Amino acid sequence: MEQNKVDELVGKYNEGLTDPSEVQQLEQLIEEGKVELTQLRNLERLDDQLNAIEAPAASLAMDDKFYAMLAKEKRKQESSAFSFKMPSWGWLAPRLAFSIVLLIAGFAGGSLINGKKNSDVELLTQQVAALKETMMLALLEKESASDRLKAVSLTTEMDQVSQKVTQALFQTLNSDPNLNVRLAALEAIAPYSRDGKVREELIRSIGKQDSPLVQVALAELMGQILEKKSLSEFEKILKDDKTPTEVKNRIKESINVLI
Amino acid sequence: MIAVRDGDVGRLGLLFERYKRPLYGFFYGMNRSQELSEDLVQNTFFRILKYRHLFRGEGDFRTWMFHIARNVSHDHFRKDKLKWKESIDDWQDRLGHDDNKEGEMQLNEKNAMLSIAMDRLPSDKREVLLMSKYQEKKYKEIGEIIGCSEGAVKVKVFRALQELKVIFHQLEKTM
Repeated sequence: MEQNKVDELVGKYNEGLTDPSEVQQLEQLIEEGKVELTQLRNLERLDDQLNAIEAPAASLAMDDKFYAMLAKEKRKQESSAFSFKMPSWGWLAPRLAFSIVLLIAGFAGGSLINGKKNSDVELLTQQVAALKETMMLALLEKESASDRLKAVSLTTEMDQVSQKVTQALFQTLNSDPNLNVRLAALEAIAPYSRDGKVREELIRSIGKQDSPLVQVALAELMGQILEKKSLSEFEKILKDDKTPTEVKNRIKESINVLI
Repeated sequence: MIAVRDGDVGRLGLLFERYKRPLYGFFYGMNRSQELSEDLVQNTFFRILKYRHLFRGEGDFRTWMFHIARNVSHDHFRKDKLKWKESIDDWQDRLGHDDNKEGEMQLNEKNAMLSIAMDRLPSDKREVLLMSKYQEKKYKEIGEIIGCSEGAVKVKVFRALQELKVIFHQLEKTM
């Protein structure tokens, strides 16, 4: 079709005067790229109005769910690939390596001189554990969330955690700005939940949590360890209008065993 | 996305922050439910994570993401066998029970009617208009998502807008 006929057809369409066969012709021209949708004024106006309409905002729970899924995937990756990767711990790695080498050299030398191999190995183990603890506490202060995640994962390498480490884990659970780190801290504390003081701290933690995911994770843990004293804290969350329904349902499911 | 595919899974967070709004908007435009739309966003990113190894690195991440989103949407509605309500009375009733009624009422009247008109469009036409909106009218990319030529997408958009106009005028007369 000649250009002037095309322009005529578009003009006719914009005046609302086209018949069905002319609309079909127009469609053919659109498909061939000879007419752009922007030339069809009424439709363009409608399209602009459509683009101006905003969907209502999603809730924060959507973000929480996504980041929990991402954290789980990262933990899965880390647990399958985890090894004592010294170079990736930046400034601390060389100091730690040097300290461990010194310790090993020192105690190897000492045991040769004194012949007390068993107690020296035990002492070495304790010193390495102390170094890990120092490293963990240092990493927890770092700005990067992945460094703080590494700090929390270090505790899983410790046979026993000291009070200092437990306190640091609770501090992280209650106030770390990153949801993934808080969830990881709860996972790290879970093995020690038989301890009476740890349980008390966990119960106190419930009231300090804003994130529905952490609340649900705490409820699941309390259900598993059968901690009835946690019920009153969860009742406050269940009565709160701001708690999403899905979260209330999950919490009720978990604490059902406690009632 | 290439970094995510190659192991730096944490970087998916950046993509989530960049695309969560258009993705949520697309689903919300299709089903008008906040809760369902949030679930479908989660499902989409779950699949992106699960099938990250399939991202070839050619072309736009947004196009790939909407391709997955479309499948997530279709899978959900196929499973739930939801039927779209067409009568105006049903939609007025639905507005009455919609959690976002207050949000709707805050829009000016024309926008509210346009939203209702969109809801009354057949789902395939609604989908192509939402794709056009959230893919920023990149018709070639939309063609890749829905499996047709760029020209055919423009015709689909044309037909969808035509029908939307008719429904909108009907609503203006009735309300």
